[in-house]
Amino acid sequence: MIDFFRNGLAMMELEVRRIAHDRTELYTRAVQPILWLVIYGPIMAEVRAIDTGSIPYVAYITPGVLLQSTTFISVFYGLNMVWERESGILKKLLVTPASRSSIAVGRSMSAGIRAVFQALVIIPVALLVGVRFFPSVPNFVLAFILIFLSSAGFAALSVCLASLMKTRERFMGIGQAITMPLFFASSALYPIALMPKAIQYFAVINPMSYSVDAVRALMVSGALASLPEDIMAILLFDALTFCAASVMLRRIIE
Amino acid sequence: MNCAVKTERLTKQYAGGTKALDSLDLEVDRGEVFALLGPNGAGKTTLMRILTTQIAPTDGKAYVLGMDVEREGGRIRRRISYVPQETSVWGDITGYENLLIYSKLYGVPREIRAKRIADACSIMDLEEALNRRAKEYSGGMIRRLEMACALITEPEILFLDEPTLGLDPSMRKNMWTALERLREERDVTIFFNTHYMDEADLYSDEIGIINTGRIVVRGQPEELKDRVERERIIIRTREPEDARTRLNSLFDDVSVEGNSVVIRTENGERGLAELLGKITDADSIALEKPTLDDVFMKYAGVRMRENGENRRRKHD
Ligand SMILES: Nc1ncnc2c1ncn2[C@@H]1O[C@H](COP(=O)(O)OP(=O)(O)O)[C@@H](O)[C@H]1O
Ligand SMILES: [Mg+2]
Repeated sequence: MIDFFRNGLAMMELEVRRIAHDRTELYTRAVQPILWLVIYGPIMAEVRAIDTGSIPYVAYITPGVLLQSTTFISVFYGLNMVWERESGILKKLLVTPASRSSIAVGRSMSAGIRAVFQALVIIPVALLVGVRFFPSVPNFVLAFILIFLSSAGFAALSVCLASLMKTRERFMGIGQAITMPLFFASSALYPIALMPKAIQYFAVINPMSYSVDAVRALMVSGALASLPEDIMAILLFDALTFCAASVMLRRIIE
Repeated sequence: MNCAVKTERLTKQYAGGTKALDSLDLEVDRGEVFALLGPNGAGKTTLMRILTTQIAPTDGKAYVLGMDVEREGGRIRRRISYVPQETSVWGDITGYENLLIYSKLYGVPREIRAKRIADACSIMDLEEALNRRAKEYSGGMIRRLEMACALITEPEILFLDEPTLGLDPSMRKNMWTALERLREERDVTIFFNTHYMDEADLYSDEIGIINTGRIVVRGQPEELKDRVERERIIIRTREPEDARTRLNSLFDDVSVEGNSVVIRTENGERGLAELLGKITDADSIALEKPTLDDVFMKYAGVRMRENGENRRRKHD
């Protein structure tokens, strides 16, 4: 257990130090979510095609856009770990006293850290386009913890997927191929009730639905009724993906 | 059990079917510098990855510091360090930060962290470069940074996989100077893989020669070379038969090969001194000493260099 914390903390520190040295990637990766907020959001709000109740449309999609971009980052981060086996870094980590599973979890947590920083870059833009966040510091802190946890879960999931791939080329499209369906089949851009029936079923098992819902409740609406359920879903998702990633790490090593 | 490393019929067959280790037996004593010498594809990396508990053997046993690699991996890893063949530093942070993160991963207590880092850097002669990002380092500096990372935990065994691969001769020399400094300061066993014969010859106490997953021979460098053949003095002359008659009284093994006379003797330098004056019409005189390549040839049945070229390929 101490192992887990030590390793996780060291990995997160590594990520913070990396970001401190080079922030370009945070900015370039912010371009796409910013386009959603600055162009797509206001246009859709103008045509009033989607009923989001009392919440303005741009504010409604902000949590979804945040999570789409952080998920994208974590998926790539997990894939990166597989590339790392070609360098010596993974090998060297395997020879530290840390257990296999704490390595998998540690890597996923550093993805979570990067995701949090990514979200921090996007939020000022949301403020600029007029999104009014729910003014509560504890809510914000909890929202960021959930962004961290769900991103770490997606990173672990992508470690699993990547360990099934043999060549680097196949990884390229996969980031998009995973995140876009998750994004569109969640409540990121429109309420789940508006979706076709089949996709609604998918949305129920889509982890992103729960993280979007939780972050929206905490940061935008302040209506916390379904929050416990969302948190449970995210924790369950993390538990499953962390276990799976620990097992799949084997395949990457050999 | 006081062995640093011991294996018994150690076998590794990869999923693809390649048998990288084939019933390999090896013992390495503590405090030694041990060189595992062999061509590319011989199984050196595979053996080291099993000993450092990264991958499991298919069959047989391996012990490090008396502990079973399959059952006591965690305990072994606390007492060893390892530098892989491939680059293993994070290029986008500084050298110092690399050392700091590694010391945290190993749980080096905060109070002694700074001292451990400083000591490792002074052995590896890295002090000046610490605040630059590692991707700006030269190949030799990256290697020394990796070594420094490995030293922070004060390991009992240091496993180095091809520590000087890709370095130019002066960098290689620097690296070994640093490793010799390390041995003067600390009681550490060094187990290194290499396909450079001169390196095994110069810097190791003991050599194990590996080919196709088996140890073909092991011993001290001098002892191994003594086993192959005696030193040869080769004299090119127009009258080889004539020269042989004159030299027969001085040496017990003189033969004619083409237009050369070949003398086989224990001590080639002394032989040279003795034959001066006896030979007046030589075109050239050469002294050939046995190399580890001859040792490899004798025990593995092929030349190491050619073998290395044939089998060099990349896999994932
Ligand atoms: N991960 C792997 N999967 C399948 N085969 C491998 C793997 N690693 C090495 N091999 C094969 O095992 C043999 C020994 O390789 P290796 O231990 O890397 O040798 P060396 O380090 O002496 O060059 C080679 O034939 C190599 O192709
Ligand atoms: Mg190798």
